[in-house]
Amino acid sequence: MPAVTAHIPESDLALFISGDVSMWTYVHINLHLAHCEACRERIEAYRLSRQRLKQAAAEIPEGADWDRLAAEMTANIRVGLAAGECVAPRRKLDWKPSAGYLSRTHGWKVVAAWAGITVGAAALLSAAFLLNLPASDGESLMRSLHALVQGGRSGSARLAPGIGDRGPVVEASSSGVELRVNGVVVSIPQAPTRPVAITVSAPGSASARYVDDDTGQMTISSVYVQ
Amino acid sequence: MFSSLYAKFGFIFTAGALIASAQALHTNIDLGGKDSPIVVVHYDDGDSKVTQRGGAYLVDFHPTLTLRNSSSKRIHSVTLLVEAQENSAGGKASVSVPSLDIAPGDTFPLRINQTLFGSPSVDVQLDGVLFEDLSFYGPDKLHLQYNMTVWELEARQDRKYYKNLLEASGEKALQNAMVESQARQDALALPNVQMARGRSTTVDAGQDMQFAFLRLPDAPVELSSGQARVVENMADGPSFSVHNVSKRPLRHLEIGWILKDQYGREFLAASLPADVNLAPGQSSQVMEDASLRFHGPGAIQGMKGFISSAEFADGSYWIPTRKQLDDPELRGVVAPSPEEQRLTSIYKRKGLNALIEELKKF
Repeated sequence: MPAVTAHIPESDLALFISGDVSMWTYVHINLHLAHCEACRERIEAYRLSRQRLKQAAAEIPEGADWDRLAAEMTANIRVGLAAGECVAPRRKLDWKPSAGYLSRTHGWKVVAAWAGITVGAAALLSAAFLLNLPASDGESLMRSLHALVQGGRSGSARLAPGIGDRGPVVEASSSGVELRVNGVVVSIPQAPTRPVAITVSAPGSASARYVDDDTGQMTISSVYVQ
Repeated sequence: MFSSLYAKFGFIFTAGALIASAQALHTNIDLGGKDSPIVVVHYDDGDSKVTQRGGAYLVDFHPTLTLRNSSSKRIHSVTLLVEAQENSAGGKASVSVPSLDIAPGDTFPLRINQTLFGSPSVDVQLDGVLFEDLSFYGPDKLHLQYNMTVWELEARQDRKYYKNLLEASGEKALQNAMVESQARQDALALPNVQMARGRSTTVDAGQDMQFAFLRLPDAPVELSSGQARVVENMADGPSFSVHNVSKRPLRHLEIGWILKDQYGREFLAASLPADVNLAPGQSSQVMEDASLRFHGPGAIQGMKGFISSAEFADGSYWIPTRKQLDDPELRGVVAPSPEEQRLTSIYKRKGLNALIEELKKF
């Protein structure tokens, strides 16, 4: 019997837990586990994680709109990934063209022109992206950046624990008012200033009062449960 | 040649990026039939935009409408209903502008600021117009005729108060009143509350908490036997006994719901409207199938209720007087009326003379 010396790869361990390895790999891993406490501990950690995941899945309320949640989380993940690329450390270039080479082969003016084009195009695309970024995506982007710096998941569907399982929820706070359906914000008035008053009403509405800076009018924006 | 070639590249990159990220917004405006008291003179999308989020669209809706009063009466309040089509997630929005004074033939702006989730096609409908004689036009799908009327009555009360103060005590007294009102508004804590329809279907550990009641003199209704099921910072299914102590039948009333946190701070958390149809001397039970969650430190320590307004069967209304609202138990939790907030805003932005000119208009 060959001696088992190297630790089991993570991917094989995960498949071993779920019973998705070949017979030979299964025997190989079992032989290793008999002599390796470190791998036995990793196996146990995987088993606990699977158990917790099953318990969490059982607590998800009925009627959750998975399609909408999935779409919302996918969009947030995309924003988070884009933010991750922005803050990821840049690889150092292995090759740096010398100044002498560039000037001999292409001319400084052409090189400078292409550098300018590249920078300008990147700036235009970034500006176009940011200008078209809705406020809620901006918030998602900021949360993603914050999460990447602090550590943790990027993006999240905002759930209202304890009350969100009762259907649509209206919320009023110093930030304004919003309507949430299945944990997803579906309607929110926006104003540049803090509301001067907020109310929620039992039939299912939330209102925020603002003074419009341009018109001087008192404006009351409301959201309603359907 | 250099500048034109690279300018073209820049334009192409920008156009492509904008096209790839943006969707066209389509707005349908319906302000009623030929007899509608307002017509659209101008519509500007402003910085509205539509972006795709997953399988649906996020609509940042910030248009400005210029409307004209095409009726023969002065308009004092307008409400528009705003809804994204195919809003399968449910929900609609509105924008109300009280404290107007638009003469026949005059135009006025109305700005909408909403973020909606649905299709890039948004419907804007007239839901109601309140005139100076308190008559109403519109389908009132949002049942805001009551609120619009209460706002107008509060506005009249407050304008009268400030005009009388100016005449009796002079500009300095008016200025002091404005400063005091602004200080009160700044000190008013805005609660963080959530409201959901329906009660919990699980048996929660909790207790029935009784309401304390604030009795305002000459209020047409007395509240008693109020309670709600309280679990930590959530209150479920509030109920009250209401007794008509007036000599006229009552049609509708609104109850203000005050919560107290563990530090003893009180907040006007919610409003409970109720259609009652109570004859003089008659009592009834008001129950609300709703849950209120309060985002404050710790659990709910106490609850109070008070009658904030009422409508009689003959169409007349009752609202608390300014003196009643000055009650120490209400002063720190009930926000000033929209009109008072508008007047203090005029004072703050434009000064005392502008405020005096504004008061002279009414």
